[in-house]
Amino acid sequence: MNWVVAIPALPALSFAIFLVASRRLRMKLLWLPIGASFVSLGLSLMAFTRVWPGGSEEAVWHQSFVFGVLGGRPLELSMALDPVAAAILLVVTIVGACVQVYSLGYMHKDDRQGWYFGVLSLFTSAMLLLVLSSNLLLTFMAWEMMGLCSYLLIGFWFENEAPRKASQKAFLTTKVGDLGFLLALFVAFNTIGAFGYEEILESLGNWPAAALAAAGCGLVLAAMGKSAQIPLHVWLPDAMAGPTPASALIHAATMVAAGIYVVARMLPLIALTPWVMHLVLYIGVATALMGGVLACVQHDVKKVLAYSTISQLGFMFMALGAGSAEAALFHLTTHAFFKSLLFLGAGVIIHAAHTQDMRLMGGLGRHMPITAGTFTVGTLALAGVFPFSGFFSKDEIIAVLIHEGDYVVAALALVASALTAFYVARMLFRVFGGPEQTELHEGHTTMLAPMAVLAAITAVGGFASPAFAEFLGGHGVWPELRVALPSLGVAATGLTVGWWFYGRPGVVVNTRIYKERFSRIYGSLEQKLFFDSFYQNIVIRQFFHLADLLAVFDRKVLDGIVNLAVTVWVKSAAGAWRFDDVAIDGTVNGVARADVFATKQLDSFDNGAVDGAVNLFGTSVLRAGAIRKIHTGNVQTYITAFAVAAVVLVLVFVR
Amino acid sequence: MSMVPLLSLMVFLPLAGAIAMIAVPADRPTWPRWIAATVSATVLAIASYTVATIQYTGGPQFVERYPWIPIVNIEYYLGLDGLSVLLVALSALLSFLAVLASWKVDKRPKFYFGMILLLAVGTNGVFMALDLILFYVFWELVLVPMYFLIAVWGGERRAYAAVKFFLYTMLGAVLMLVGILAIYLHPQGGTFDMLALVDRGFPADFQWWVFLALFLGFAVKVPIWPLHTWLPDAHVEAPTAASALLAGILLKMGTYGFLRISLPVLPEAWAQWSWFIGVLAVISIIYGALVAFAQTDLKKLVAYSSVSHMGFAMLGIAAGTAVGLDGAQAVNISHGLLSAMLFLGVGMTYERTHTRKIAEVSGLAGQTPVLAGLFAFAAFASLGLPGLSGFVGEFLSLLGSWQSSLAATFTVLAALGVLLGAAYMLWMVQRVVLGEVSPAVDGMSDATPREVMTLVPLAALSLAMGVWWLWTLQHFDAYSEGLARVLAR
Repeated sequence: MNWVVAIPALPALSFAIFLVASRRLRMKLLWLPIGASFVSLGLSLMAFTRVWPGGSEEAVWHQSFVFGVLGGRPLELSMALDPVAAAILLVVTIVGACVQVYSLGYMHKDDRQGWYFGVLSLFTSAMLLLVLSSNLLLTFMAWEMMGLCSYLLIGFWFENEAPRKASQKAFLTTKVGDLGFLLALFVAFNTIGAFGYEEILESLGNWPAAALAAAGCGLVLAAMGKSAQIPLHVWLPDAMAGPTPASALIHAATMVAAGIYVVARMLPLIALTPWVMHLVLYIGVATALMGGVLACVQHDVKKVLAYSTISQLGFMFMALGAGSAEAALFHLTTHAFFKSLLFLGAGVIIHAAHTQDMRLMGGLGRHMPITAGTFTVGTLALAGVFPFSGFFSKDEIIAVLIHEGDYVVAALALVASALTAFYVARMLFRVFGGPEQTELHEGHTTMLAPMAVLAAITAVGGFASPAFAEFLGGHGVWPELRVALPSLGVAATGLTVGWWFYGRPGVVVNTRIYKERFSRIYGSLEQKLFFDSFYQNIVIRQFFHLADLLAVFDRKVLDGIVNLAVTVWVKSAAGAWRFDDVAIDGTVNGVARADVFATKQLDSFDNGAVDGAVNLFGTSVLRAGAIRKIHTGNVQTYITAFAVAAVVLVLVFVR
Repeated sequence: MSMVPLLSLMVFLPLAGAIAMIAVPADRPTWPRWIAATVSATVLAIASYTVATIQYTGGPQFVERYPWIPIVNIEYYLGLDGLSVLLVALSALLSFLAVLASWKVDKRPKFYFGMILLLAVGTNGVFMALDLILFYVFWELVLVPMYFLIAVWGGERRAYAAVKFFLYTMLGAVLMLVGILAIYLHPQGGTFDMLALVDRGFPADFQWWVFLALFLGFAVKVPIWPLHTWLPDAHVEAPTAASALLAGILLKMGTYGFLRISLPVLPEAWAQWSWFIGVLAVISIIYGALVAFAQTDLKKLVAYSSVSHMGFAMLGIAAGTAVGLDGAQAVNISHGLLSAMLFLGVGMTYERTHTRKIAEVSGLAGQTPVLAGLFAFAAFASLGLPGLSGFVGEFLSLLGSWQSSLAATFTVLAALGVLLGAAYMLWMVQRVVLGEVSPAVDGMSDATPREVMTLVPLAALSLAMGVWWLWTLQHFDAYSEGLARVLAR
């Protein structure tokens, strides 16, 4: 079954070919990455059937190879195919293939699209490798590779400042989290001398509590970076500067999913330290609420989706914090489909409206029925409306919270759900409602077809909820009414309020009154709750000050000491020589004479260079102020100084 | 092949080439570079052969050992083992690429290429010598050609930079010689054979002093904070190829000295000094990165990045575990490839734009995609992206220091250096590679095939090393393991 390796390898291969191909050749080979993504999808389906019907954590395929040697012991990396991996492989390849096909239409005018497709492939490949990896070190490599790909995609239009800055911000912010991953790697290796999941999870009983806490914290920190949790979420909204289909991939199937996936995998380790689990839970609920609130005040349609991603990732974190990997992974799955659908839809909308500002949109629905239809399916799933997939997965999370007795968190999650429904309605009505616009064009078929596929999955995928949990080896249940009713209730409330503000035909509610009445709150929301300005004005600015200060210190102080030391040393050495003239006179003069002779020989060999060199010595010694006192020549001074120092030190040692 | 003195060939072929330069008629300006290219390519072929055929256990290979000055037991003793074989190969590779990169040098080509070859004599020899005095001779020999390369072909402040380089390293070398002599003169010493001196059980206080003397000699070369101030000046003023060799090979002599002499011969002193080395290593890492941030000169930025990166090698040495020592050696190899690549890239840009000011160079990606791509590759590889070589050394050094008896604070602070490293490299990429095409860059031509040929091997090796760790680790891990065992006693 080693063909499983081809799932991540094929997209990586097409990247490698694109890396060395010329721009023109890439254009001719566009079928290659797209074809690779479909072959990967096919293989993932095959892998899925091999794992079916799942129900346990057993891997059906396992492959390890010696990657290095450390202190005489082989360093192994390994991959495994178990139900969790098989399920997420399918999610990643489906979304990946949809995004690839969509991009054909979306990017067709860009003359660097070849590079874009190459990086897209590498991105998918890295995520697939991460999913299949059963070794923390291999996971980290795939993880970092994704960091690079997100950098390249977010900054794809690097001629402009915003993408450039956003890509750097994404890379560095997630890199902060990566330090946590490093910590976990160190702790694991220090504790058991290996990185394999199996070795780690089987040995947990022997781990000291401090090691468990450190590794758990580290992994959580890492996931906070990649999966955009407070306070490392700041990169994600800016990442909208990249091409829209790339955003779909980053927000759905790859980057942000990686953090959740790794924590889900390592949940048995993290769960052994209760306070880390609480941390995950509270960070999750705070992130869900913050993302929801901020999504309500965005005008850029992509920013709304970005904050909604942050909010939904918060839900997944809550599920993890409550100890349910299945619920988190199921929400990850449904979210991957509906969020990529929403981004792809947003791409069509932006192409048609020539703006990302929702205030300038409106009335897009009539002329773009397919886009409007599929986009609506996506938004309703996001809002958690029955029977769309988001309803089932969100419901499952809230059920888990209640089951675990985290009632306050569950209540806050319902608040976040209400916020979600509100901004979803606001977005829908702003984009599609209002007076009809003319001269709009529906997207190209290559763009609409993937959206239709994703919409279909979103529409019916929720019913897979119990099957999904059982496939992963958990216990599958249908939604209970005591959870579903409040959950649907808040969704309905949110939608209604949204409709009341933005959707009533012919009625325009003046939201400015509210903005003015709550100006302080609204102001801080507009400032994104000051995270960015804090980092920019406090952390980064101080950092640059420190760097400048150290640079001056390096030049003035350290180099100053060096210059001073040379001066003092040459002076004192010269003094010593004068004092002890007779004793070492012979030796020194001999050496000096030989040196002068050699210099003269070299001089005739190559006049200018050596002359220059000797002059250099002269100047430097002149600067040191020693030359005036010694008339035997500057070269000798050095020889003397060295000889004296050497002899003295030897005497000290051998004494 | 055992009859052919391969190692001597790697020393004497470049020497013969350097001497042959004298005989080249003045009206044949292209001959020197062809001689240099042929000689260095041959040496590279020999070095590759040694890498391919060497055994990792059972002492040094390809040994050549003859009495040199018998009365004081000084020998002509060359040999290769897992620690040195890759460094010699690196030295051979870089001197060949340096010749390629210097193809257009027309100022005194005889002298120039003679000095490049003479430098190869020293750098090849220093890693092969197993006799302390022979080691010292090669060590000092390196100084001379590098001095001239900076002083004759350097930039505006070449005079200052060359003298500073010479004084610093000379002072360090003298202290090192003192240490070597002290070892020989000690009753338990009596030999210059490095391998025979391993773990001889010198008295602790003697070890302490000798370690200090050697430390200063090696530390200047690495360079370790605060002995690094010669480096930015030397790098900025040196011609491109010399910068690449300086960062790529000369700095490794320092870390090699620790791994080959200080640690195995003076293990007890290492145990006393390791925390101090760790402190300096962490300072080097963070300080180098921060100062790199503040630089406005592209070459200086790369120079300070060397201080930071070599700090990781010193951290691995301070850790002294097998993993840490592996890390130190991996940093050596990786930094050899990548710093050379960065300096060559900066040089190619400078040749065309005549400026190294970061503010004046921007938008390479739009104007010269190939050069920009390779330069960005080197930047990402040095910031420690897994899959490329920089990560191997960084990761193993950190892992080694976490495992070792050093306090966890060392690892944590050094790991912050990883973040800083990513930050200044990315910021450099953002300003120089990306962005709008600046006037200096406008109209600039992309890398020529010859230039691509100098950069691609380095990139390919960095990728190979990062993708398959075993490829390099298998060479030096046995040495690290043995040394770690000596240190652990």
